[in-house]
Amino acid sequence: MINTDGFWRDVLLFIAALAVVHIVLKATVFKKLKRPWKAADISINMMIVLGILFLFYRVYVTVEIPGGGLYLILNGIFGSIVQVCVLALATTGIVLIFKTSTTTNFAQGMIATVAAFSAAKISTLVSAQFPDMNMTYVVLIAMFTGAMFSFILGVFIDVFIIRKSKYPTPVGKQMITMGLVLVFTGLIPIVFGTLPLTVQKLSYADNIQFTIGDSPLKYNITMHSIYALGITIVLLVTLFSLLRFTKWGLGVRATASNELVASMMGVNTRVITAMSWAIAGLLGGVAAVIYAPISGSLQVSMMIPTQVNGFLAAILGSFTSFAGPLVSTILIPILTNLMSIVTSTWQNAVVYIIILVIVLVKPSGLFGKQIAKKV
Amino acid sequence: MTYKSEMKQLRKQRWHSVKNHPYFGFLIIVFLMFAVQLLRLMGVDVPVAVLRAFGSTMIFTIIALGFSILLGYGGLASLGTAGFVGLGAYFVVYFTNQLGLSIFLTIIAVVIGAIILGTVVGFISLRIEGMYLAIITLGLSEILNEVFKRATDITGGTTGEGIDGIILFKNVLSLSHNTIFIFISIFLFFIMVLTMNIMKSPTGRALLAMRNSSSAAQAMGVSIFRYRLLAFIVSTVYAMLAGVLYMSYWSFTIPSTWTLGFSLNILAAVIVGGSQSIYGIILGTFMIFGLDLAVFKQIDFFVNNPAITIVLNGVLIIVVVMFYPGGLIRLVQTLGVKLKILIQKLKKKWRDYKYGIDAE
Repeated sequence: MINTDGFWRDVLLFIAALAVVHIVLKATVFKKLKRPWKAADISINMMIVLGILFLFYRVYVTVEIPGGGLYLILNGIFGSIVQVCVLALATTGIVLIFKTSTTTNFAQGMIATVAAFSAAKISTLVSAQFPDMNMTYVVLIAMFTGAMFSFILGVFIDVFIIRKSKYPTPVGKQMITMGLVLVFTGLIPIVFGTLPLTVQKLSYADNIQFTIGDSPLKYNITMHSIYALGITIVLLVTLFSLLRFTKWGLGVRATASNELVASMMGVNTRVITAMSWAIAGLLGGVAAVIYAPISGSLQVSMMIPTQVNGFLAAILGSFTSFAGPLVSTILIPILTNLMSIVTSTWQNAVVYIIILVIVLVKPSGLFGKQIAKKV
Repeated sequence: MTYKSEMKQLRKQRWHSVKNHPYFGFLIIVFLMFAVQLLRLMGVDVPVAVLRAFGSTMIFTIIALGFSILLGYGGLASLGTAGFVGLGAYFVVYFTNQLGLSIFLTIIAVVIGAIILGTVVGFISLRIEGMYLAIITLGLSEILNEVFKRATDITGGTTGEGIDGIILFKNVLSLSHNTIFIFISIFLFFIMVLTMNIMKSPTGRALLAMRNSSSAAQAMGVSIFRYRLLAFIVSTVYAMLAGVLYMSYWSFTIPSTWTLGFSLNILAAVIVGGSQSIYGIILGTFMIFGLDLAVFKQIDFFVNNPAITIVLNGVLIIVVVMFYPGGLIRLVQTLGVKLKILIQKLKKKWRDYKYGIDAE
């Protein structure tokens, strides 16, 4: 059925060929152009896209049933919708905080976990009060209140902890968020008790099943992932349009580019940073509530893998833009699912290696710009 | 001057030179560790948890010292420490269980392996600025963790793998924790001396210059890449050696130890203690890793509420970073100076009381 003979050989050969082509082009053609570095940049981008496309193609060829390759790939994509949504929300939060506070927030996952725990409590409360209520509404209410909780938590952290520190340096802020991780790890069992809590899925209704063309293979999408996708798209579109078209968004972008100058130009940077912590908390909270039913009962460390992937996605897409990390959050879960077709044990390691290779050939990230540094 | 008073003067001078020798403090620390262990051996009821806490602190101090050369002197942050330490630990597993080689050979192999690994990783990743090194090493650490989990033949998979005992020469010797504890403390002494010498040597000065302003350092003829690579290699070697020590002390390793959390804890230990001071790092490491076992677990209240110890640890980190950016060692130094001034004032008051106030 699945014939993985020569898979790695082909992939490595293709990558080597790409590298050779790039080096030859760089040595011969680009030299004569007006802006050789720009051409080299474009060529590297093309090489990365080609490499990923070849990976898809090679997996497609691996399956020896007619139509089977497409089925496996598409089903892998449909199966990773929830992971993509969770990762996209979490990563956007991390990038938002990085842009306004120039620090990587290690507590992002923990704030989200607090939201998930409170959502679980609230959903049990609500369904005890109104037993006839539709499960979807209960979870939505719980998600909203949980997200509000993490929203307030985000403001609280920025206003009372980060801002009060005496000499805030990026590493110092990182340390503070790490301390917060420990504090939350201890506080969650105290506040929410040690009994196992669960959040329900958004919907247990029938999954959508359909076929493409005349092949008998059935594609399968769960309703939970469709709801999750809808919520994610609404949230992210709202956030991006806010960033793009409102005065607050302008303030965020100004603060991101230079906090001191922005504050001198009359931007209230305190409100901006507090709001970005709050919104990051909100996004994380929604992500955790979506992710919670998949991982079974709630655990304190449930968001840590997502957070590690979020950092890697943010690096892969470059911290300087919002769109780049989004693309890489779509890429990482899909690639993981794709690789699990080929090897069922090493898929994570392979994806990490792919990320490392991409970051090595393009240090500023997939969509990053080289920033000229002044001395 | 009489012979007697001359000898007294000489002794005083000698004591002074011993007391102010840079290694004196290290010796004191190692002797304290010896004393704790000896008390235990002599039958005084030192709780085992306290001993284990000191052992872990010493092992992790070695990692933190390497990290301090990287961060406090090189200005580079790495999040891959956990992967390297784990690799050192699994080296011991492989060499002992599968090859049956002596611990000394293992140490030599680990040092060589660490130098090669550090060179390769550093050579690839040090071209990239600042935070990217952290994330690249994080990715590497994740890959290593996957290997620890999946390569079940060697590492035992997610359930972990233990060794029966370390091999000194030829046959398996199951040394007791107490012996290894003493071995670790001697090892720590040499590592501290080495670190001190690196820090105060021209290499350390060059690193420090580079950290403060890379452009200025470059202008003074410091090869940035070469020194960064050196710092990275040193930290890798320390980390993997600490992995070997960890394995010989605990005899058991499990992949879930070597995750991002561990690297962050090491980072926290270095920052909280004070990233450029050896004593600060010992203090910080003890606070992060040892405080829980050595102090909190001995008090009934905290044994009944284990979650509170974690909260307290977190609050301590936050408070230290918020108000003492130089680390705990700065706080200790400030307190020491204040204490000295207070003592002087009290002495003066006592003199005034005894002999009457001096007429100016």
